[in-house]
Amino acid sequence: MRVDSKDLLRCPVCEAVNLDKGKRNICRRCGRRIYSHRKFRTEKSWAYLIAAIIFYIPANLYPMLIIDQFGIKTSSTILGGVIELWEHGSYPIAVIILVASIFVPIFKFLMLIYLLVEVEYYGFRKDKKIDKFKVYYLAEIIGPWSMIDVFVVALLVGLIHLSSVEMITGFASTSFAVSVLLTILAAKTFDIRVIKKD
Amino acid sequence: MEIEIQSEEELDNYTICHRCHTLHRNKVLADGTKALCTECGAVLYQKNRALIKNGLALSISGLIFFALANLFPLIKVQLVSEEQSISVLSMLFGLIDGGYYIVGFFVGFLVFVFPLMVFMIYFVLFLALRLRKGRELSRDLLILLAFVLPWNMSDIFLISILVALVKLFGMLEVQMGVSFWNFIAFVALDLYMTRNIHIGELWELRDEVYRRKQQ
Ligand SMILES: [Zn+2]
Ligand SMILES: [Zn+2]
Repeated sequence: MRVDSKDLLRCPVCEAVNLDKGKRNICRRCGRRIYSHRKFRTEKSWAYLIAAIIFYIPANLYPMLIIDQFGIKTSSTILGGVIELWEHGSYPIAVIILVASIFVPIFKFLMLIYLLVEVEYYGFRKDKKIDKFKVYYLAEIIGPWSMIDVFVVALLVGLIHLSSVEMITGFASTSFAVSVLLTILAAKTFDIRVIKKD
Repeated sequence: MEIEIQSEEELDNYTICHRCHTLHRNKVLADGTKALCTECGAVLYQKNRALIKNGLALSISGLIFFALANLFPLIKVQLVSEEQSISVLSMLFGLIDGGYYIVGFFVGFLVFVFPLMVFMIYFVLFLALRLRKGRELSRDLLILLAFVLPWNMSDIFLISILVALVKLFGMLEVQMGVSFWNFIAFVALDLYMTRNIHIGELWELRDEVYRRKQQ
């Protein structure tokens, strides 16, 4: 039996190599269903992605952290926090937060839009200029790092309850966390094998 | 690229790279060596005879570090005469108390529940493989592991702790607690295991272990 490598699937659960049988693929090693690109619809990914972008807007507009120190309240948004850190001379931390909270989410949005538009309007064509697997892999690796600022705020807010200093978070942290979750779901529902069929 | 196979089972002799999706024919490796992708250089699989023994030792150490990291304070902050110590669990309770349910649950799963699950799965799995029992159980655990692994964010949480410390330094007096070093040890083990133990290898190991038992 001669098999083209394009008709082979990698099981996302157990990594076994499987023959692409079209509509319904069951992995021969772990028994889980592997989705086939022929059934792939982009609607679900679009829905998650658009919701993620909507939640990302208030995440940037509302204050991420409010510090109540001796009765004086200072609040800062994500970008405001970055500027504050920069002015205090904490350059590496400022850069980490800037990349994690601003660059990474926007890069993920753009990448998903690019892949979805490609699939929707041009089908499974080959684009020689951009290696889509590398783009997807990169987004998968850096994606979770966008959680840094939520974790930092969670640490400060969950912990600092001194009589003279208190830290509070606004709607921004909740919407940021929801946005990250939705982006991850959008990427997971996006079947990576549509890239392969070009 | 086209390949010639007699049956589907022969596909076991092939690996698709997780990074660039290039198809490779598997090679027999010497103990302690790795196979790298010719296209992108990613590690495809490796040969480690002592995987079960090492995996069991690593997962037990990981669970001990995890317990120690969560039982004692990570950081202590001080302002004038007031002192407060901080642990992961007190952070989570603080968030829930403050009414931040979504952030609280989200963070709780990503930095506490999922990392703990990963190490419990490793522990039970390696134990089952060692005892050559629980064929079905090990399959279910491996499937669960594949779903939980991408949601384990303890390494990112460690960086977040450092960032939070920098933010606090100017405002309060900060001291590292005992747990801080345990947490670093836990994250180091976690990174080592997720980098070096590939799920595909665990499935192969499982096939091998129970096949040997049947003979
Ligand atoms: Zn599988
Ligand atoms: Zn590769």
